[in-house]
Amino acid sequence: MRILRRNTDQIAISETELLALTADMEERHRETLPKMHAAVAEYIEGEGAAERSRVSRRGFLAGGGVVVVGGALLAACASSSTKSATATTTASGGGSNAPVDVQAGAMAASLENLAVFAYGAGISAATAGKLGTIPPAVVTFATTAKAQHQDHANAWNAIVSGAGYQKVTTTDPALTSTVQSDFAQVKDAGGLAKLALTLEDIAAATYLNAIGVLSSKQAISTAATIQPVEMQHAAILNFVLGTYPVPNAFAMTTGARPVTDYSVQKG
Amino acid sequence: MSVDEHALGELMEESADLQVDAMHQSTEALSEMVEVGHDRRRSGDIDPEHDMAAAARRQELMRKSLLGVGTLAAAGFGAAVLGLFDTPAFADSASDVQMLQTAASLENLAVATYQTALTLPFIGGSSANGVVKAFATTTLAQHTQHGQAFNAAAQQLGGKAQTAADPKYAAVVKAAVPTIKGPADVVGLAIKLETVAAETYVADVSAFSDLNAKKVTASIMGVEAQHVSILLAVQALLAANAPQLIALPPNLSALPGAAGSIGFPNAFYQTDMASPASEGAVS
Repeated sequence: MRILRRNTDQIAISETELLALTADMEERHRETLPKMHAAVAEYIEGEGAAERSRVSRRGFLAGGGVVVVGGALLAACASSSTKSATATTTASGGGSNAPVDVQAGAMAASLENLAVFAYGAGISAATAGKLGTIPPAVVTFATTAKAQHQDHANAWNAIVSGAGYQKVTTTDPALTSTVQSDFAQVKDAGGLAKLALTLEDIAAATYLNAIGVLSSKQAISTAATIQPVEMQHAAILNFVLGTYPVPNAFAMTTGARPVTDYSVQKG
Repeated sequence: MSVDEHALGELMEESADLQVDAMHQSTEALSEMVEVGHDRRRSGDIDPEHDMAAAARRQELMRKSLLGVGTLAAAGFGAAVLGLFDTPAFADSASDVQMLQTAASLENLAVATYQTALTLPFIGGSSANGVVKAFATTTLAQHTQHGQAFNAAAQQLGGKAQTAADPKYAAVVKAAVPTIKGPADVVGLAIKLETVAAETYVADVSAFSDLNAKKVTASIMGVEAQHVSILLAVQALLAANAPQLIALPPNLSALPGAAGSIGFPNAFYQTDMASPASEGAVS
């Protein structure tokens, strides 16, 4: 990776202090994870247990066909090091009777997976020198955002699997091909930031829309604790792109993915 | 000043256009709230299970807030009030209105604080960083709109508008203002207020019984989180004695690597600093 090295004389102090601040914040972040795990566990013990029982009674009578529509996500765009980014998506199946919280959780997980793969592909492309010189702040952003999206996906998958459905390991089928196509056009850090901003905006809008649809307190809380983080990612990306970072007084649902648009499969 | 004034002006204008769209959506939500509220009152269409679950959450919030004013709880008054909240129909309107009023009180305080900050030479005056000044000005306007939205929502549910500032944090601001020496002090205070607001709204979203009160609050919480994000980045650059890097567009190549993640420290937004429902409610 060709990472631009900063002028150490100019900001030697800033790097030290910022690293200290980052370490503090990483510690705070780790402190939030047990709380999220507790909320998810509460869902699994409550609504999740009831749904597992319901699914078990239904058996496999409602099982539908599985259509694989995905391929190797971003594989054509990223370096071979993204071999783990193989994405298959189920376009239809037996999940239509799943509770809305499970459907929304699956949709959210598929979006988070897409973000993880997009950032991963971007990092891989940068490492391979395909995006020119990448400023260190952009590398840190992509690495941290990718990790947080993985945490989000894990939280939703805990809810989905806790209710007796299969974890979502694939990417949103409706957006995957578009992301592949858009990523193929990315030539530099700015292009990567624009693509990432689109994904963050869609995720934030999807969560905002979902909050009005979800039924359990735990699922609403999960969405409510993630939506602001996606908007923070968007703010920093806007800043990186030279755009005013907080453009709206009210978050919008424009571009939101329908919460029932991902067909979750019974476990 | 490390900012292209013309470019920033264009960005602000573009932002204003986007703002009109966002306001349209928010107004629709508020209108929908009125309709839903009227429909519910007319038809008595209440989901008992949903309302009981919501009531339990609200009771938890109320207990937290009442315990915060320990004298009431000690006198037994708190228990009596909590008893009233065993009736979901009462809890629906009362606690939703309280949460909306407390939210409005936090917005009122934010507006007053940014107004005061903009009178300082290093925030709104000639020695101010252009980006910081633009941020304070725009953020003030956004908080004004948030306060209006919360008050409209409270009034539409039968409550009074809250025109006062949150008493707990008004005292914090009052104590902090005389100690302000530079932009870093203002940014630190703003981070505290924005964090309290964002965390309060995140916590409230799962406690509202009214769907559209929930939607309005949810549409604001992320914006406060964005304010926090930018303020954290500015704070870090000020602390690092690198104010020249607070610029729009930024000099990306000069930004330290750690600056890329300083604005979003947690994968999940916290609620530890959330204000209880009654903190800023109209008494």
